[in-house]
Amino acid sequence: MRIYVLRQLALLIITLFLLTVFAFCLSYWFPGNPVTNSSGIFTDDTLRYTEAFEARGFDHNILVQYWFYLEHLFRGDWGISLLDADPVFEQLKLRFGATLEIALLAMLLAIIPGIAFGVLAALNFRKPIDHIILSISLSGYSIPVFWFAQIAILVVAVHWGVLPIAGQINPLFHIEPLTGSILLDIFITQPENIELALRSAIRHIMLPVLVLSVMPMMLLIRLTRSSMLDVLDKNYITSAYAKGLSTRRVIASHAIPNTMQNVIRELGSMLSLLITNTMIIEVIFSWPGIGSWLIRSIYERDYPVIQGGLLMIAALILCVHVGLNLIHSWRYPQVRKDLNAAS
Amino acid sequence: MLLDIRNLTISTNTANGRVNVLDRVSLQVDEGEIHTLVGESGSGKSLIARAIMGFLSPRWEVQADRLWFQDTDLLNLTAKQRREIIGVDIAMIFQDAKSYLDPNITIGAQLSEAVLNQDLSGSFFKRKSERKAKVASLLHRVGIKDHEAMMNSYAHQLSEGAAQKIMIASAIAHRPLLLIADEPTSTMEPATRQQIYRLLAQLHARYGMSILMISQDLGAIMQQTQRLSMIYSGQIMETGGADALLESPSHPYTEALLNTSLYRHAKMPPRTRLPTLAGAEPTLQHLPIGCRLGPRCQYARPPCVKTPSLEKRQDRQVACHYPLHLDEGKK
Repeated sequence: MRIYVLRQLALLIITLFLLTVFAFCLSYWFPGNPVTNSSGIFTDDTLRYTEAFEARGFDHNILVQYWFYLEHLFRGDWGISLLDADPVFEQLKLRFGATLEIALLAMLLAIIPGIAFGVLAALNFRKPIDHIILSISLSGYSIPVFWFAQIAILVVAVHWGVLPIAGQINPLFHIEPLTGSILLDIFITQPENIELALRSAIRHIMLPVLVLSVMPMMLLIRLTRSSMLDVLDKNYITSAYAKGLSTRRVIASHAIPNTMQNVIRELGSMLSLLITNTMIIEVIFSWPGIGSWLIRSIYERDYPVIQGGLLMIAALILCVHVGLNLIHSWRYPQVRKDLNAAS
Repeated sequence: MLLDIRNLTISTNTANGRVNVLDRVSLQVDEGEIHTLVGESGSGKSLIARAIMGFLSPRWEVQADRLWFQDTDLLNLTAKQRREIIGVDIAMIFQDAKSYLDPNITIGAQLSEAVLNQDLSGSFFKRKSERKAKVASLLHRVGIKDHEAMMNSYAHQLSEGAAQKIMIASAIAHRPLLLIADEPTSTMEPATRQQIYRLLAQLHARYGMSILMISQDLGAIMQQTQRLSMIYSGQIMETGGADALLESPSHPYTEALLNTSLYRHAKMPPRTRLPTLAGAEPTLQHLPIGCRLGPRCQYARPPCVKTPSLEKRQDRQVACHYPLHLDEGKK
């Protein structure tokens, strides 16, 4: 097990390294001046340009340049935006919190009903309940998220007027952004009318999280259902019944834990999908996260931002994957056995 | 009589219409008896076991004149009533025991599931340690001495024989009256198989439980078997005392199976032709009418297109129009 953890961590580090190499190369591959692309300083700003040129080692060979790039990376100097000269790293830090906030909340919201309905469908295999759940999940899965988001805004926010249309919080509240996550920021800064602020923030966050959670929830339903059906066919379920256990106990202590093994493995691939969806949702709901910023930067060819955002999101997905792998092998003994056999 | 099955018919719908996979099977198991049911794979012997346990999925339709365990009708039980019998009075062990152990839970935890609360005397807080002691004693009873290590291991760490011992330990947790053993040793090496048989024989001798052993090889049945039943393609062919049947089989099928087992031919001279049963077991789609052995039976005659009923002939019951080795004068 220890060897496996080390191997996974080594894999993580190597992949992250390759990622930085790729991100570094991007400043050459993007059209324009590599110094401008990596630092965000235009050539006509002669003084600061020469400064950046020297600081990033562009008078040396490419290996030295990469070294200086890494140094800047770890120092938190990721250049400035070409558009508004905001420091990229500071912005990313704030926006990352906002993105994680809705992504995680949506994931949490998706997991519980997703798994519950999946189990329910599997237990009622080919019965009406199963058909209903399946068809709902299929249609929910096939609705494009941008369309669904706009319909949700139209119905819930515009027609009924129960929830706000967009944004993180009512602009009348002044919350100093510290982590980027609005709920956390409210707790940290403790404004005078904290209750009102919280209520406003929660009302704002509800709709994007709800819309965002639909897709992973539907995926989870289908995933859990098929995995559960597999497990229910297994011999150890029969022997659990042969012990005289009640159906409820067989399901709770044998079927569901074994079902979760497959589900956990697939959670990682769901995350990439979730992040992509989060970006779209952020644009639609004007959520100040990484996604909306990145999409703007792609339109405007804001290379330092593209570079930084890419690095951040790819690193996040990688870390989650490795984390899930570790959890998976820590929790499930027979996975561990296969790993030992493979190493 | 502990288990009484009369005319059990299990049918299912196939592409070619309705098929009786089991055709009026009768089987009796007495208290304290080791009864071996022998049949080739696909003959429906596991279906009988599953019908007793109530494991059959709804696509199998079960009908029987009697399917009684002691004085309980197993066919009409609610789930709750069934749980009071299954796992308590009737236990079952399986072929390929490893796959019947949950891969993600320790052996100790799985065994302690088989220990019912009603078997524990202590207060709520003492239950955990009491349960553990009970599991340890179960493990000792099946001949596993290092109970601590075994309780902490997982299914994939066990050998097939050890896994089967675990299954037996969990089966005998409540001292069942009947243990159904569905080919428990068919994937094992002979030495391991003998260990399991020895263990079963010990438990049988100590607790007097009945064993319904299901086997596909007449040459590898448990030596202590008292009664034998032969099943072929869903029909019971012959039932009787094990010694008598092995000595002088009355049904052509029993004879053919005996001829295929090794010890009858250990001394055959070279270049002699081995006796075999011609052809293959019929598939569900092409079941012959009448006696299902008919097309493969060397003694078959025209009346065999009518299904023979299981009739008492001397010391045994035979379902054959032309039984062998029976004193015809007495008939």
